[in-house]
Amino acid sequence: MARTLTFAAARGLARSRLNCACSLTHIRSLTSATNENNINQHYDVIIAGGGAVGSVLARLLLNDNVDKSLLSHRRLRPLKVALLEQRSSPPSLENIANTSSKTKHTPNARAYALSPTSLSYLGPSVLQRLQQTNRLGIYDSMQIWEHDGPAQLHFAGEDLNEAVKSGRLVDLHGLIERNNDTEQHQKQQQSNRRPWLGSVVEDAPLVSAVWDELRNDERIDLIDNVQITSISAPSQNTMGNVEPPPPVEMSCTRSITNEGGSKHDEECTLSADLLVAADGANSFVRRTLGSSFPMITHSYDRKAVTCTVELDVRKGDMARTAFQRFLPHGPIALLPVWNSLNNHDNGAPIYANVVWSTTPSEANHLLSLSGTEFITTLNHHLCQGPNVNPPLLSNNNRGMPHIPIIGTIAKEMDSLLRTANTALTMGTWTESPSRNFFRMPPASARVVGSIMGFDLKLSHVQQGYTAPRVALVGDAAHTVHPMAGQGLNLGMGDVYSLSELIKEAVDSGMDVAGTGLFLDRYNQERMVKGLGTVGGVHGLHELFRCSGSNSSSGIMNANALNSGGNASGVESVVGLGRSLGMNVVNGLGPLRRAFAEAAAGAAFSR
Amino acid sequence: MMAKRLLLRHATRPPSCILHCISRSNLVRNLASVSSNHNNEEANGSSSSNPTKSPTSPSIGNNSSTFNNNSNANPNEVNKFSSFASHWWDSRANPLVGMNPIRIKFLRDVVDSFQPSSAAAADTTAAPNIQLPLHNKRILDIGCGGGLLTESLSRLGASLVVGVDASTHVVEVAKRHSFHENSRLVLPSSLQDDRDIRYIGGITVEELANSWLNEHEKEQTSSSSSSQQQQHQLFDIITALEIIEHVPNPPSLLHAAKSLLKPNGILLVSTINRTVKSYGLAIVAAEYISGKVPIGTHTWDMFWSPAEVEQMICSSSQSSNSGDGRMTQIALSGMVLQPPFINMEWKLDGSDTDVNWIGAYQKEQV
Repeated sequence: MARTLTFAAARGLARSRLNCACSLTHIRSLTSATNENNINQHYDVIIAGGGAVGSVLARLLLNDNVDKSLLSHRRLRPLKVALLEQRSSPPSLENIANTSSKTKHTPNARAYALSPTSLSYLGPSVLQRLQQTNRLGIYDSMQIWEHDGPAQLHFAGEDLNEAVKSGRLVDLHGLIERNNDTEQHQKQQQSNRRPWLGSVVEDAPLVSAVWDELRNDERIDLIDNVQITSISAPSQNTMGNVEPPPPVEMSCTRSITNEGGSKHDEECTLSADLLVAADGANSFVRRTLGSSFPMITHSYDRKAVTCTVELDVRKGDMARTAFQRFLPHGPIALLPVWNSLNNHDNGAPIYANVVWSTTPSEANHLLSLSGTEFITTLNHHLCQGPNVNPPLLSNNNRGMPHIPIIGTIAKEMDSLLRTANTALTMGTWTESPSRNFFRMPPASARVVGSIMGFDLKLSHVQQGYTAPRVALVGDAAHTVHPMAGQGLNLGMGDVYSLSELIKEAVDSGMDVAGTGLFLDRYNQERMVKGLGTVGGVHGLHELFRCSGSNSSSGIMNANALNSGGNASGVESVVGLGRSLGMNVVNGLGPLRRAFAEAAAGAAFSR
Repeated sequence: MMAKRLLLRHATRPPSCILHCISRSNLVRNLASVSSNHNNEEANGSSSSNPTKSPTSPSIGNNSSTFNNNSNANPNEVNKFSSFASHWWDSRANPLVGMNPIRIKFLRDVVDSFQPSSAAAADTTAAPNIQLPLHNKRILDIGCGGGLLTESLSRLGASLVVGVDASTHVVEVAKRHSFHENSRLVLPSSLQDDRDIRYIGGITVEELANSWLNEHEKEQTSSSSSSQQQQHQLFDIITALEIIEHVPNPPSLLHAAKSLLKPNGILLVSTINRTVKSYGLAIVAAEYISGKVPIGTHTWDMFWSPAEVEQMICSSSQSSNSGDGRMTQIALSGMVLQPPFINMEWKLDGSDTDVNWIGAYQKEQV
């Protein structure tokens, strides 16, 4: 029956998602396949993995960018894209939002902190819908402090004003309100707009909202419940020859549920000019093409514990702030969620997202706690202000030679550094009182949902993000420590860069991977960025690991934590230096703004 | 390996739509006959021609005795590119691959502004996405080489693209690449419009123009075809990119190109400017330091400035005899590597025409 369908009719059916396979069958009549079940289809781009990174890439590819020159409106041809997803396609955002209002849904802990630049890649309509369904956790201020020093670091939305004004950073307010408001209303709001530092978005609503966009677009085939079974990519020596390299070919098994509820598997063969691996840290595509993609891996020997908490509204206010306190084994972050509608005044509970990175043993201890025990431990470790630096030389001069002169010099240095640090701390308080006073994070009342734990690993592809006709994006290419919230932002940067190059190839009438040109450029752009971020976050992790307190002062021994512990001399110096560094960054406006802009994903000034 | 290559060559016949077009198009038939004359020898030369000598023409002495005096092809230059032919599509060996996107961008900008498709407005209501940017354009690509630009122009919807080059070797590469099934130059049937792509090797544009003008005269006497029909056989766009610095007599090439242009047609020319900076970048840096360009690819003396080319094209008195419209320069831009030689990323830069530059010239309506 499907054979008789016209191209358009097949696509229409695919849109209605009654039977997605129909869209694949139109080619069968052309190729006269011998096997009835063998479906062949060629795409310009196949994206393996319909999660956050993969679906945003699809959206970017189909987006006719309005800001670009007139040329890009007249796209060469509908780019033919397929998005393969192993699981069933996600429910629509309205479905998620509706069930939550009926059954007292709470935020899911599986969430990302997205920078303003990453948020802009979602597009105005996705952002609007997430905002209107209250699925954004916006923060326009950020407070970072340490457990064993006086330093604190405050970022505020105002730090990004300059970048937004000069066009180096996207104006999210403008993007979201572009279609909503009248011009007059916009002008009124322009004055008191505070740029966001970012927003926490749960995985499920994010993916649903992007898929909703894709469902409305006939240029993409959404193929769910599909498992790639084999991939054959062109070898390196097919590149640069007179004959163009062959396409990537892959076999898939798709499980189809009939209307009666019975299931059957369907084999299909797909080919593409470009295969994009967006299938996560354990990427099937990368592992299948293993020889092309050796990985650098490093275990942080850390585990993250994450959950959603309901805040005790009597004890402190969240107010669009992201809190992060550094403990000896890693930071605790308390991030806002579901605050985009500001409906907390009418008694709705206020939720927050907790991400606590620590050693595996401590993490396992946390995971073993009951809900109330966990809340007590959390409040105890998070709701504390900055501390004074521990003495550089501990009382028993451990690790230091007993030579009088050196001891004296060290003592002098110690007092000098502490004076400088305290002066800086005091100095920054006077600069702008509204910004620099320490704010105690709100206390948590109870855990909602379950507490989850996952191992933290650094990984990065060794040689490059690409093989002939294959590109890796997101976690398939790299994973980082979540302390800087850069994981998904790095992946969003990958897909934006790749989508621009694919569009350039299409606009130029070129096969995107027929020559090495575009993928080489993608690799150059992202390798620098990826290694820089992975390395930078790793450096930050090492820096904070060298804290002033002895490494035994963990949460299982809460008293040691507050006493300052017995640090060795070197670690004390590093800890004090870090403390000084944080104060310097906090105190020097231009330096602080540079950090804020880098985290927001602003373009560098030229 | 060899056997496989041969097999592939036989397997790569032009798609059916192309054969279809051949039967419909007079010009293509003409071109096909020209091509068969010259396929075996490099630039055999045609019997009749009108050599045009210009005072600005350099290195006229370069004409070798193995070539017809009238042939505007330098055998050394032709051999240079023939030996490079097998690397033509290697983006790491051939900088022209990286230059292709900005050439196309410039061309599309110019065509959108100065030669908007009359059908575009009507079509947007029906199927806005299927309207290809070069829909209904007939394009001649002079010095097509391995077909980098030619293939792109066809993908962008040109109804006919003819690629000509003095070297048969590079044109062989172009054919093998473009007609290979992996190139996917043919769109799915739902989007198929009449698109044709032809390559002719071992021919200069003067020879092409002569053979076309002969045919043109015959038709005028034999049939009563209207002048409008004849204009359909001319070209809307002619590109002569990175070619005039490789031929002995650029004014002759440009004049021949002009004679094949429809009224309102656009001629695009790109070359390298003759400046101190271009010596440093295009020869010393590109060929000797970075090695991105094979040594000996360019001769600085044969570079041209935008003003010189504009004079050759626009203030020529030769065009008056055929009643052609005058040419005017409509756009000019530099092409710069940013950042230089780290990657192959070219940018259009309107203010810097010191090294690589591209210009567009439009024929006025008569």
